[in-house]
Amino acid sequence: MYSQYLCQFAQVHEQFRIPELMSVSELHGFNIELPDDMDVTRPFMILGLESDEHARILTQRCILVKSICEFYARGKTYEELHMQTRADPSKWARYVENTSFKMKVTAYNHSIPQTRARDVVEDFSYMGMLGKIDMIQPEITFVCYEEYVDKHGTTREKHEGDGEFREVFFGRLIDEGSARRLVKSFDVKKRKYYGNTSMEAEISLLMANQTLASPGMLIYDPFVGTGSMAYTTAHFGALFFGSDIDGRQMRGKAESPGIIRAAAQYGVDKRIIDLCTFDVTQNPWRCGEMFDAIVTDPPYGIRAGAKRLGRKARPSGAPPRTVAPRSESRPDDQPYIPPTKPYELSALATDLILLSRYLLRHNGRLVFFLPTVTDEYEEVDVQTMLCEGMEVVANSLQDFGSWGRRLITIRKTSSEKYAPPTFEPEGRRLELEKADVASKHVPAHKDFRMKYFKKFNKEDYVA
Amino acid sequence: MVRLITHNLLACHAKGCTTNNFPLQFKDVSIELREAELNPDFIKGFLPRIEWKALVDAARQLGDTTLPSEMPEMVDDEFLKNLHHVLLEMHVEEGAMICPNCSHVYAISNGIPNMLLAEHEIA
Ligand SMILES: C[S@@+](CC[C@H](N)C(=O)[O-])C[C@H]1O[C@@H](n2cnc3c(N)ncnc32)[C@H](O)[C@@H]1O
Ligand SMILES: [Zn+2]
Repeated sequence: MYSQYLCQFAQVHEQFRIPELMSVSELHGFNIELPDDMDVTRPFMILGLESDEHARILTQRCILVKSICEFYARGKTYEELHMQTRADPSKWARYVENTSFKMKVTAYNHSIPQTRARDVVEDFSYMGMLGKIDMIQPEITFVCYEEYVDKHGTTREKHEGDGEFREVFFGRLIDEGSARRLVKSFDVKKRKYYGNTSMEAEISLLMANQTLASPGMLIYDPFVGTGSMAYTTAHFGALFFGSDIDGRQMRGKAESPGIIRAAAQYGVDKRIIDLCTFDVTQNPWRCGEMFDAIVTDPPYGIRAGAKRLGRKARPSGAPPRTVAPRSESRPDDQPYIPPTKPYELSALATDLILLSRYLLRHNGRLVFFLPTVTDEYEEVDVQTMLCEGMEVVANSLQDFGSWGRRLITIRKTSSEKYAPPTFEPEGRRLELEKADVASKHVPAHKDFRMKYFKKFNKEDYVA
Repeated sequence: MVRLITHNLLACHAKGCTTNNFPLQFKDVSIELREAELNPDFIKGFLPRIEWKALVDAARQLGDTTLPSEMPEMVDDEFLKNLHHVLLEMHVEEGAMICPNCSHVYAISNGIPNMLLAEHEIA
């Protein structure tokens, strides 16, 4: 049996809200009933939950949840709100006799003048609350939220438009979100080790929630860089494995590896199983089905170049290259750096999914960012890189204007064993054909690097 | 670090090196023991992935003889603790891992193994 709860979201990352709720509820094995008229752009949403306990699990784990209330009423006007509240006293009657309480009146996108807030409280006097008012440690808190439309970018007086809200909501507070605090604790600037590829804290936390990170899980980042997602997934209890083609990214300058130093700051260094230097397209994994999740921000050629071992194709007739002498035992910060060639984004994305299908256990998740061109993106783009046995669970846009990046969550639905990918065009083509996806469709993320440097001006790159 | 769990998962991947390329042989290693939190579910879940002989040999080479030569059928607490110790608490800090087939040397420095191949070794 579902009861109605009022969820208030943080004012950011709209498209990440529902996937996060769904991931956390899946991790804890309960269901959420979403409203039929769901509008993710609004900060309030009525959710169906089976218990207050489930609401508390969400407030304790979801980065984007600010609070959850037991839902009492909503209205375009206060008359409507009061009518509904009076109509169903069974929800609050048990608190009337002898429960200390306080009432909070607040607004979203607006600040309510104190005098009116007091009047609003007065207007609830018909509830006949007999317990004492306790502003410090009440047994229960009633909350009244007024939702105003975003007047961002316009100038106005402080309380201008007061009372002209879009809708008002009323309920009993279950819990305020406590996971949002982590955004500060994981602040990149306060980290002992970071670089120009480090992922902002809030997004690293959202990514960790998409992996369902929890104790006993083994999680892998094949483009680990400075390790941003290592800290957040390990914080939630997972064991973590990272690799990168460039050892200096993981290590930094000091003797002990930078990622380990930063992990120690968060008390999770023991959960970093190991860090290895290798090109993911030439990887040393002995077998598949080892990881519970793969989480990564692949290189897409702007800050951190997408590259792989090998040399660029040479014009025909060019003299043969001399082969490098046999490598001796050599740490990766020594002078020999093998030549690399560029790695086009749509090929990389397909390879990443094929690799994940090989390395993930059944039901394991791949969580990664795919940059894309806003004007050209189509729903089918993500399908063009899917192979058999893998299914998209969530796809959330972080919008930067002319381009954006999509956090894609994919689940390995198949329990079959798969071969490792070939990392070559022919292998990719065969797999995509098998999956029967629209293989003729050219996704907007193809040649993303080139498009980025042409400032997404279509005339410059469409023949 | 190169814990033994990692060692058990890495094979030589140089061009054409596809047989007898596992396990890599430790050479000139220095070891550190560091306590790690025990999660029995993780260890049990990982058991089917382990190449048992490779693990036991590596542990013995590094001085730990607590594991039986055959993977036991019954998993008791004592065994879990020993296995946890071998998989997660023994760290190889310096030294190298060498391919038994092609003799490629994978160096380990400050706990990070360099598994990167040189140009002539890639497929
Ligand atoms: C966008 S960055 C990842 C940043 C990381 N999330 C962090 O917090 O710093 C991409 C990383 O991929 C690495 N990389 C590029 N090509 C690679 C390849 N073929 N194999 C493995 N790593 C690669 C780069 O060295 C870089 O560190
Ligand atoms: Zn070899």
